[in-house]
Amino acid sequence: MAVHLHVASAYSLRHGVARPDALAARASALGMEALALTDRDGLYGAVKHVQACAREGIAPIVGADLDLGGGERIVVLARGRAGWASLCRLVTAAHHAGGRGRPVASRDLVAAHAAGLVVLLGPASDVGRAVAERRPDVAAARLAAWRAVAETAVEIVDHHGRGEAHRAARMLALARAAGVPAVLGNAVRYAEPGDHPVAQVLDAARKLVPLDRRHLEDVTGRAYLTSPDEMRRTAERSCGEDEAAALLAATRRLGERCALDGGRDLGMDRVHLPETAGDLAERCAAGLVRRGLERSARAAERLAAELAVIARKGLAPYFLTVADAAALIRARGIRCAIRGSGAGSLVNYLLGIGDLDPLRHGLLMERFLADSRPGLPDIDLDVESARRLEAYRALFDRYGADGTATVSMMETYRARSAIRDVGAAVGLPPHEIDAIAKAFPHVRARQIRAALHDLPELRASGLDQGRLQVVFRVAERLDGLPRHVAMHPCGVLLSNASLRDRSPVEQSTAGFPMSQYDKHDVEAMGLLKLDVLGVRMQSAMAHAVAEIARTGGGDVVLEDLPAGDAPTYEMIRSGRTLGCFQIESPGQRELVGKLQPRTLDDLVIDISLFRPGPVNSDMVTPFLDARHGRAEPAYPHPDLEPALRESNGVVVFHEQVLRVIDAMTGCGLSDAEAARRDLAAEDGRERVRAWFAGAAAARGYDDATIAEVWRTLAAFGAFGFCKAHAAAFALPTYQSAWLKRHHPAAFYAGVLTHDPGMYPKRVVLDDARHFGVPILPLDVNRSAPQWHVEPVAEGGAAGIRVALNEVKGISDAEVGRIVAERPYRSLPDFWERARVSRPVAEHLALAGAFDGLHGAGRRDLYRRVGALARPGRAAVRGQLPLGDLGEEVPAGDLPPMTPGEIVEAELEILGLDVSRHVLTFYDDLLDALGVVRARDLPGARDGDRVLVAGVKVATQTPAVRSGQRVIFATLDDATGPVDLAFFESVQDRCAATLFGSWTLLARGRVRRAGARAVTLTGQACWDLAVLYGHWLDGGLGAVRRAMAQARPAPASASAGPVPSGRVVYANGFALSPYADIGHAGPDVRRSPARLWHASGGSSGPTV
Amino acid sequence: MTRVFGDPVDVWTSGGRPVRFVWQGRLYSVRRVLEHWVTTRDWWRESRPDEQAAGEREFWRVEASPDREIGVYELRHDPADDSWMLSRVWD
Repeated sequence: MAVHLHVASAYSLRHGVARPDALAARASALGMEALALTDRDGLYGAVKHVQACAREGIAPIVGADLDLGGGERIVVLARGRAGWASLCRLVTAAHHAGGRGRPVASRDLVAAHAAGLVVLLGPASDVGRAVAERRPDVAAARLAAWRAVAETAVEIVDHHGRGEAHRAARMLALARAAGVPAVLGNAVRYAEPGDHPVAQVLDAARKLVPLDRRHLEDVTGRAYLTSPDEMRRTAERSCGEDEAAALLAATRRLGERCALDGGRDLGMDRVHLPETAGDLAERCAAGLVRRGLERSARAAERLAAELAVIARKGLAPYFLTVADAAALIRARGIRCAIRGSGAGSLVNYLLGIGDLDPLRHGLLMERFLADSRPGLPDIDLDVESARRLEAYRALFDRYGADGTATVSMMETYRARSAIRDVGAAVGLPPHEIDAIAKAFPHVRARQIRAALHDLPELRASGLDQGRLQVVFRVAERLDGLPRHVAMHPCGVLLSNASLRDRSPVEQSTAGFPMSQYDKHDVEAMGLLKLDVLGVRMQSAMAHAVAEIARTGGGDVVLEDLPAGDAPTYEMIRSGRTLGCFQIESPGQRELVGKLQPRTLDDLVIDISLFRPGPVNSDMVTPFLDARHGRAEPAYPHPDLEPALRESNGVVVFHEQVLRVIDAMTGCGLSDAEAARRDLAAEDGRERVRAWFAGAAAARGYDDATIAEVWRTLAAFGAFGFCKAHAAAFALPTYQSAWLKRHHPAAFYAGVLTHDPGMYPKRVVLDDARHFGVPILPLDVNRSAPQWHVEPVAEGGAAGIRVALNEVKGISDAEVGRIVAERPYRSLPDFWERARVSRPVAEHLALAGAFDGLHGAGRRDLYRRVGALARPGRAAVRGQLPLGDLGEEVPAGDLPPMTPGEIVEAELEILGLDVSRHVLTFYDDLLDALGVVRARDLPGARDGDRVLVAGVKVATQTPAVRSGQRVIFATLDDATGPVDLAFFESVQDRCAATLFGSWTLLARGRVRRAGARAVTLTGQACWDLAVLYGHWLDGGLGAVRRAMAQARPAPASASAGPVPSGRVVYANGFALSPYADIGHAGPDVRRSPARLWHASGGSSGPTV
Repeated sequence: MTRVFGDPVDVWTSGGRPVRFVWQGRLYSVRRVLEHWVTTRDWWRESRPDEQAAGEREFWRVEASPDREIGVYELRHDPADDSWMLSRVWD
């Protein structure tokens, strides 16, 4: 039976087309009993290949197609356990030798790792090249050199290209003359004939050239997984019938010798943990005492249960390792919190991995660790984002570079990236490609044509015609292909010194050793992955706490804050939670307004309710009704009351699903957890339903109760939230709100420095204004690298000073020099000593950093930088005595910048309107139109139709119950946020403007959503900058005419508003395929290059 | 001497291989196939390619003779519409 020994999958980046499972399935369908995967320069797909082969019942062969420089390539295959270790180490060595991203092997490297490897020399090898050049003596010498270092075979490849058959025959003759085995390969790049256009686009994308025959590696379309019959015909065509049989037999023999066993050879049948010292039971017993639980019978019972599971699974070293890692990170003074289901384990609490007592918060171990859960449990640690790499270094120091690695992940083609690469390959002009790509929201590549049909902002674009149709069609075929390997944002692999025998390692961009395995591979290989997540809010809070201490506010210990601080919860209930962890989005501000939280437990529920699951299965309304006493809590059965009491009868948490299943079936929590996991998939859900109904009926529950409970469980489906996770989130939510309420300046300094939230920084800055925190301008003598707190006057409110890091283009070195050389007496003095680049100095001048030194206008200072930077002067910079040459900046003859120009410069350089809010320039127009401001909206009546305006600061398309794509937009109008929802019925006329404009005027109907919260149902919107142009040109009449004229283009609306591919769940709820994706158009977090709309001779606001 | 043509020709095949063809009114018998290769279409140059960008072109370089003189001829086959063309001649 035939076998393919040379096969690239999509994990040969920008080369292979098929995923490993597709290749294995195809090989199996062709009747093959084995299949090799030999990806280029890496083993990124190896584990997936071994797993896919196991599913297909065929034998896996693994190797690599290695670059030897200058386009020369060989294939190496691994034999047995020794071969696998050699292969891992050889790939690692090739990456090490070539430097990051440029792996290169050599014959010497192969020689150093030859044990168990077989080298295949094909057309791209030095031997194959000599044969192509008709230099048989050179070819023979090179072949001999390879044989001297490793087991070697000649690989015959014939893709039916011009001259290939003759070349193949000469290769065979060489092998026969030298007595080296010859095998047949097909250098496969895709599974099926017909996939070659994708391979050709990848050739062009990889080489950054347009599609052209001479650049392509595949010009015959024959690099597919050929059938045994096709392989025989190819062999006959180049080598003749007799030789063909021998060639195929030799190929099969080599395949049999190289077949690997996942358990025996790759070690996938066991776990490979670091060596640990200590006894888990003893450490836990000590923990009981430390946590004051030594007398608790509940704790003792729970601990015994957990330790028993851990012992049965042999995971004691795992817990000791994680405890050790968490202690290491905390020892460096890095804020570290446990997240996720691990918070539900008492062992984790006792070992000090987490600080949440699972018994007190009703958290279950089984969601995290149970006999029914396969594999290693997951423990996630949250650390300060700014110090995440420092935490990594601590782990590498402790476990050694040989036993530690970060985990990799593949960035894959999505709509925008696919359109960019295909567009470039077919030779579209770059600016056109850019415009087309940005017209798409962040959808999957395979959704491109569906999106063109479904989304109003794209239907109107007229993109779907002519040559672009070809681009879109091919771009869709790139869907999901890996295009770039990156370091996983949080995974760290902790193992022992044998790690390098089990995993190839390359260097990440950040300089860490990085395994070529992704998080799934790591698990399959029995390796321990610790997730260390960088959380910006942790950094923001650490910064705030440091600022409080620095400015004499004392030591705030966030872990020891008083619980239930009334002013903090009062602020949360008012919805003024911008900048706070988890509760700043428009939807969350609305929900906290309705839910009116008073305790941490309320926040836990609030965070859990604001998820697609609860929203999808309509848990929010009954919960709120019961909470506010509008309805009695309803329990499907009295037996379920203990499990559901905390959430008024509504299922909110995973833990409750476990308890409900256990209560009705008596199966125990471990099996209940297995059932919960099965709920996620359609077939699993059906299985669980049958079992659940039977078991519950056997225990005497009636059909109606069973049906009702099942409806809720099914709706919960794949969604829902782990309570342990929500509890771990609620703590920083409360801490951040406490800081905002009691130390606003320090809070904003932290948030502006570490940018943890969803809004542009300028919105946070405006929020600071509303909380009475003075904004202090950029100043070369006062600004620090980061935002800091600065008292404005003796005893007065503290302000926040704009950070030097905000200046566009400034480097860390420049910031360091500016701070080190302070104070400065003048601009020339600054220029002499701070030695920043000219553009940075110009930016500083325009952003007002010298206003404190000079009365002169910013325009004069800007010009002065130009004079200082003239070549003649630059040469003597640093040699002149200070005080010489123009210490004084003469008052210039240039007109001062207008306030409009100043704000434009601030937005351009800092991304922030520091001196005043950008919307204030439109005040006259907004007043004339009768626009309602955010601060006045709480006074509006339900159902009122109002005009609102503002800078667009967020657009979201979250999953909502109806399955519509609703566009939620937040405008910032200098008095607060205005939240609007645009439904599908108005998107034909609104979507393009909504996504394409920076400042907006909108009309909407008021919808009251709680005591104070107000949202608007959007009906129409206009680009405010455009209207302002009309205002300047023709006054209010012109503006009203423009507003009336803005009508949808009816032709484009004909496709109708119903998107294809709306996902309808078994529970009857629907989900738009465009829910929760990044929107079309430019990034909302950046202001446009041109602020004021140039129209009819107007040059921006005249204020 | 090489000459380049793009003339349509009628070709008789056997087992996929050309055995006879008619060019400019004369019948040529294929004596020997010197080489056979395939290429993909330049689908990216086609402004409105059909749904399948796949599909290949086949080339046969053959020794053939209308009478006693033997020349080398290159035949191009497009399997999509089963058309043949004489692309080059060495004589």
